[in-house]
Amino acid sequence: MLIPCPHCGTRPVEEFTFLGDASVKRPTSNDPASMDQWFDYVYLRDNPKGRFDEYAHHAGGCRAWLVVSRNTATHEVYGCVTARDYAKAGGKS
Amino acid sequence: MPKSPARPKAAAAPEIMLPRVSPLADVAIQGRFGADRGAPGVEFRVRHPMSIVTVIARQGQGSAVAAALVPHAPQWAGPDQYFVIAEGRGEGALYRELKSALDGIASVSDQSHGRVIIRISGVKARAVLAKGTPVDLHPDECAMGKSALTQMAHVGVHLTRVGENAFDLSVFRGFAESFWEWITEQAEEFGYMVR
Repeated sequence: MLIPCPHCGTRPVEEFTFLGDASVKRPTSNDPASMDQWFDYVYLRDNPKGRFDEYAHHAGGCRAWLVVSRNTATHEVYGCVTARDYAKAGGKS
Repeated sequence: MPKSPARPKAAAAPEIMLPRVSPLADVAIQGRFGADRGAPGVEFRVRHPMSIVTVIARQGQGSAVAAALVPHAPQWAGPDQYFVIAEGRGEGALYRELKSALDGIASVSDQSHGRVIIRISGVKARAVLAKGTPVDLHPDECAMGKSALTQMAHVGVHLTRVGENAFDLSVFRGFAESFWEWITEQAEEFGYMVR
């Protein structure tokens, strides 16, 4: 799997460390009433077939946090943006 | 209460000068090694001692830092991050110069003792590097002066093209010996000189 790092160019997947789903939103409230949201956020992760946005750390290169969009069934890579740009775009790549 | 007697003044600590020792001093033996037919394909040179400073721009200061670094020929080392290297400067001189020039817009740290730069050159330099890195080193892709961060043999390497067939490889001091053993082994089939 080749990943188009926005800083380093195309690099092999071995240089990256993956963290998990980038599309989930951390609850903003600490109110006990929001515990269901927290439970969802911490434990109930989707395991979709198809397009998936995932955090990736380019540990073997620029050391930046990125978001890689790929197809979990075919490993086709759709794109890669910095985690900062991803967050600024409201969680869309 | 009686006044306590003034403490005796501590004598000024004598300035200790430690000689810089390359971590490859006992490892990089000069001479010719490996295949011994024809001219050696690769030449290695340990660049020591060097002044090596990392510069990391503060948030939103990337272009200001890039502009301020132009006279220092910075090497790209990540987003808004640079290495500045120099030869023949005194201990800490380059660091102090950059620290004051970039005050408030960048974090500057002296890595002169922390990293080692190995220069690899020769017609087979690319062939040796290609055994370890996925970075495309073809002249069309890797222009003169271009830098890349990569890994070779599990060691983080900062690579810069410095000549037609010459590259500088900057590695952490603690990995230098292991890296040296690996890269010289890769060069054996071409024959190599250590200068």
